[in-house]
Amino acid sequence: MHALTRRAMLAGLGCTCCAGLVATPALARIRPSDMRPLVGPGYRPTEEDERGMWQQYERFEAEVAGSNLLIQDPNLVSYLRSLVGRVGGPAAGDLRVYLAQVPEFNAFMAPTGFMVVFSGLLTRMRDEAQLSGVLGHEAGHFLRRHHVRRWRDLRRRTDFFTILAMGAGMGGAATGTYLGDWVRLAGMGTMLTLAAYSRELEAEADAMGVRLIAESGYDPEAMPGIWQQLIGELDASAAMRRRHRRRQSLLATHPAPESRMQDLALSAREVKQPGRSYDRGRDRWLAAIAPHRKRLLDDQVKLNDPGASLYIIHKLAEDGWNGLLRYYEGEAWRLRGRPGDREKAQQSYALAVAYPDAPPEGWRAHGYALIQAGQREPGRAALQRYLALAPDAPDAAMVRYSLQQ
Amino acid sequence: MAVAKLLAAFALLGIVSGCAGGGVGGGYALVRPGPEDVGRGGGMVVTPTIAWNRARRTPFDVSREENWTLNGPLLDNLSFIAGLESGKAIVRQRRRAERQVPRFRADMSPPELASMIETFYRIRAGSVNFEMTGLQPRTFLGQPGFQFDYTHLGGDEVERQGRAVGAVVGGRLYLALFDAVRMHYYPAAIGEFERIVDSARLG
Amino acid sequence: MGRYPLILASAAALALAGCVQTRQYADVEFAPPQGDYDLVVMRPNVQVGIVTTGGLVEPRADWTEQARANLLQALRQQQAGRGGRTMILESREGVQGVAPENVANLERLFTAVGNSIILHRYMGRQLPTKRRQGIDWTLGEDAVAFGRATGMEYALFLYAEDSFASTGRTAIQALGIAGCIIGFCAPQGGGGQGAYAALVDLRTGEVVWFNLLQTSSLLPGVRFGDIRTPEGAAQMVERLLGRMRAGRHVRERQEP
Repeated sequence: MHALTRRAMLAGLGCTCCAGLVATPALARIRPSDMRPLVGPGYRPTEEDERGMWQQYERFEAEVAGSNLLIQDPNLVSYLRSLVGRVGGPAAGDLRVYLAQVPEFNAFMAPTGFMVVFSGLLTRMRDEAQLSGVLGHEAGHFLRRHHVRRWRDLRRRTDFFTILAMGAGMGGAATGTYLGDWVRLAGMGTMLTLAAYSRELEAEADAMGVRLIAESGYDPEAMPGIWQQLIGELDASAAMRRRHRRRQSLLATHPAPESRMQDLALSAREVKQPGRSYDRGRDRWLAAIAPHRKRLLDDQVKLNDPGASLYIIHKLAEDGWNGLLRYYEGEAWRLRGRPGDREKAQQSYALAVAYPDAPPEGWRAHGYALIQAGQREPGRAALQRYLALAPDAPDAAMVRYSLQQ
Repeated sequence: MAVAKLLAAFALLGIVSGCAGGGVGGGYALVRPGPEDVGRGGGMVVTPTIAWNRARRTPFDVSREENWTLNGPLLDNLSFIAGLESGKAIVRQRRRAERQVPRFRADMSPPELASMIETFYRIRAGSVNFEMTGLQPRTFLGQPGFQFDYTHLGGDEVERQGRAVGAVVGGRLYLALFDAVRMHYYPAAIGEFERIVDSARLG
Repeated sequence: MGRYPLILASAAALALAGCVQTRQYADVEFAPPQGDYDLVVMRPNVQVGIVTTGGLVEPRADWTEQARANLLQALRQQQAGRGGRTMILESREGVQGVAPENVANLERLFTAVGNSIILHRYMGRQLPTKRRQGIDWTLGEDAVAFGRATGMEYALFLYAEDSFASTGRTAIQALGIAGCIIGFCAPQGGGGQGAYAALVDLRTGEVVWFNLLQTSSLLPGVRFGDIRTPEGAAQMVERLLGRMRAGRHVRERQEP
């Protein structure tokens, strides 16, 4: 079947929080106390390269603001804005937030001060402190002017490499020697240093973020927890497909999750002040996200990455199982479709419909699963329950037909 | 987002190297109105009433599929799956890929078949807001089958609409699926798709 | 050719001398707008940057603003010369009687259609059903509705980018060519222009004309009309839109 691979290209733009999931030699940890904001309130660029960059991103923001991929729910969006207002440091009043319906664990910060949060990030967050940690990390990219610093680094190094390559070529030709391999090596060196610089900036943003959330009263130890979860998810995803998690390469633009987790754990302890109380904001978070959980889980589970989906569901279930989580647990098993998965799915559906908050689809899935397992009458009863709960469902005609069989 | 503009700019950049001419090789063959065997020997015959463009086989296709278009795959797609065996997927994919389209199984319920198609769009086309607008019984190839209607938003922010009509015959999946841009391109060709579906026969 | 480090993969594919290329396609029944007509330019996108020594393009805000103003001015004058009135749509909110969301949907549809035209007309993935059909794509009923709501007869989608080699880049280009004398030929790209224009007839919704312009050179110092100046901008508009040809059927009827 044909469909163009129209990947969301956003992931490739801006400073993203979690894109590089692949291991690298550790850099020296950056201390949160060294992370002073480089911009104040109402910052505007004055240098030529940064002005050009801003103009492009201002246009980009207009496109983002009019995108139909945005989740427009006013409550959720204003909730996100209030968090950014709390952890945005001196730029709190300047930062803008957009929420995009993209089921990836990511967010990005534009150099002009707008941030795009991907819905997949919200799927995974356990409390307000974790989410604020990611938002603080993104704000850190802005406060430390990472975009323009990375661009200047890139420009300097490509300039240098081009001059080197030209010099080597001309010199080689004049003296009759071949320097191609040396030049290629130098090019490789350029790539490696570029990647290392990018990892250093990510480490800066982590240090800045941990400091920002601690200053605004969130428990900074929430931040290493994010990476612990991400490592768990990646391992679970790989294990389910019977392979190993990809190893980090020297070219990775982000530090390995393990080293980020360790650095953040140290930094978190460092920024905590004795005697001050720090908040996780779990109840506020659960209340804010409850109306959206279904859509978020739906987008995740239907990607049929069963290891990741089940890991996320089980993490969220640490706050208590419910019908929604059990239904999607069943869906994850059913979509995987290996021998024995149907039985696991059937068990999850059976558990799901025992909860009062089971979604109608839970009854439908439960019904068909029972019929497939040869339990016709209980299966028919479950399908009838589905029709009673959702008489106008778009597939009601098909379910009625199934009942007549 | 700016994806829309970006695509255009990328396409533009893509041909900059073609200053001296040249380009990507051809890829379509003409399908004339009249009976046509589809699905590479799968034994399904359909009769279009207008001319279509058949995409040449690529290494990414599964053995039982065939793809047609009127205006190009960015705007409309007609796919046939003719006689896919139980245990096979409707797309070619790496066995160890994290995200996979579920394999077809002969005893799948109609909602499971619809969900399999939905996963295809979510994984392969970056679609979000995928919504089932209808799932109902429909006779296909003279057998009891289904009709699945849906809408979705592609990663390029273009709203699309689709209809899949299929049946499981002798344990194998037969499917005709039309997916197009919601504005103009879907309504313009859904009539022809219906004629093709109604004309489908097992050869 | 000796062994040399390939710095730009595409360098080899480019002609050494400067090359300016436009290739236009029209609906077979297209007649260029003439006389009394209204044209709306849909949020024209212009970007101008400087090519760094290492070959990166760095956007320049002041040049972009200058070039955009010059291009739009040149476009107004050119259309006025044909009898047309030009309206520039600066934002999706700027259309009376049309919701911004509908403007956005029309733009997105155009992007899919424009990319299809580029893919199937310019990049060689020919569709047999469209052979000898010029361009045969439409924006459909929504474009007609847009035209009715705005009172416009044509919509023009316009994109232009231009870049200029920095001093460092020009030196590298000169070195790359000079090296040929001693057996190290490594021509390097400098600045270049790229632009497209697509004309939609809002009475039928059809894309009636499409043109793509590319200029580039591996020779240092070669320029193609500096769109930061009114003259250069007029030159680009002339190249892009000035030599608009009628469709095949129209031309065949006109020939004796």
